[in-house]
Amino acid sequence: MARRWLAWGGAVLAGLALGAASAWGAVLLGGALVSERHGAWEHSAAAGASSAGPYTRAIVAREGLLALSPREALYFTLDRDEHSRPLDEICSYALAGTDFNARWWSVTLYASDDYLAQNNDNAHSIDATGIAAGAWHAKISSLRADAPHWISSRGAGRGFSLTLRVYQPGSGFEPSAANLPTLHTLACDAP
Amino acid sequence: MSRLAKYAWAALGIAVISHFLIVSAFPGAIMDAAIERLSQGRFNEWRVADRVTPLSRQIVRPSPDFAYSACPYDLSRGPISLRVAPWNDYWSLSLYADNSDNFYVVNDIEAPQGADITLIATGDGLPNVLTPVIQSPSRRGIALIRRLAPSVDSYNAAVRAAQGDVCAPLAR
Repeated sequence: MARRWLAWGGAVLAGLALGAASAWGAVLLGGALVSERHGAWEHSAAAGASSAGPYTRAIVAREGLLALSPREALYFTLDRDEHSRPLDEICSYALAGTDFNARWWSVTLYASDDYLAQNNDNAHSIDATGIAAGAWHAKISSLRADAPHWISSRGAGRGFSLTLRVYQPGSGFEPSAANLPTLHTLACDAP
Repeated sequence: MSRLAKYAWAALGIAVISHFLIVSAFPGAIMDAAIERLSQGRFNEWRVADRVTPLSRQIVRPSPDFAYSACPYDLSRGPISLRVAPWNDYWSLSLYADNSDNFYVVNDIEAPQGADITLIATGDGLPNVLTPVIQSPSRRGIALIRRLAPSVDSYNAAVRAAQGDVCAPLAR
C-alpha cells in the first residue's frame, strides 16, 4: 500500500516538474517564434503587443512588459558582431546608419543583465536629437578617445546588447537589413 | 495497462495541465509584481520616476531618453480621472491591464493639449462625465506616461510638467 502511494506521489511530482519545465521553456524559447530578423537585428513583434493568445501574452510579459505598442515604437536588438560573436567590452565597434523614416530614434546599450552598464560615463545611448540628419557613425567602446558620437561599453562586460528604438515610424517604414544600422568590429584587446 | 504505464499517463496528464496553468498565470504574476513594486501599496496617484541611471532596477531595459510617470490604478472603489499635462515634445499615455495587455494609448499628436480621460472597469456603469470614458479589462493595472527627455535639463522640465498630471478617484 505504502509503495503504491509512493508511486502516485512520484507520478504527481514528475508531472508537475515536467509541466513547469516545459512552460518555462516555452516562455523562454518562444520569443524566437514572434521575432523577425533583419540582418543582425532582431525585432520582437511581441514587445508592446496586445494579444489574446496565452503563449504570446506570456512572452510579452517576459520580454516586453510595459513596452510601447508597435504603432508608437518599434524595438530592435543586436547582440552579435559581424562574425556572430557576443559583443564584448574588450572590443571597440563602429555603428553606422542613416536617418529613419520616423519621428525620433535612439540606440541604447544594455549589459547582459538587461540594465544599463554600470559606469558613470553618461553615454548609455545616442539619439536623433544629438546627431545631424543624414548618414551617421558612432563608436562603441570603453574609452571615448576622439569619437564625436560614442556609446560607452565600460562595465558592460561580455554579452552586452544594443536596442534600437524607432518612435512613431512613418507609414512607409519597412525595417530591413538595408535601412537598419550596421556594426563592425574595430579592434579587440587581449582578454 | 501495466501499472507503470498508468503512472506514466498520470504524470503526463498532470504535466499538460500544469503547463497550461503556469503559462496562463505567468503574465498576471509578472504584472502583479510590477504593480506592487511601482505602487508600494499606494494606488491612483502618479509617481515620477527618477531619471534612468545604471542604478535603475525597476523595469528591465529602461530607456534613458524618457521621463516616466507611473500610476498603478485600482478601480475597485469606482472610476478614476487621468489627466496628462501637455509637453513640448513626444509624450504618450499607455494603459496596461493586469494581464500585461496594452489596451489603450494616446500621444501628443492625437492630444496636443494633453489628455483627459475617465477610466472605469469593464462592466461598471458609465459615469456622467464630459471626458472620454475608457474601459479597463481589469480592476487593477498600470497607467504610464512617457515624456521624451533625453537630457538632464529636459528631464527636469518634464518633472515640472508632470506636476499638472492627475490620477485620482473621480470627483462625485
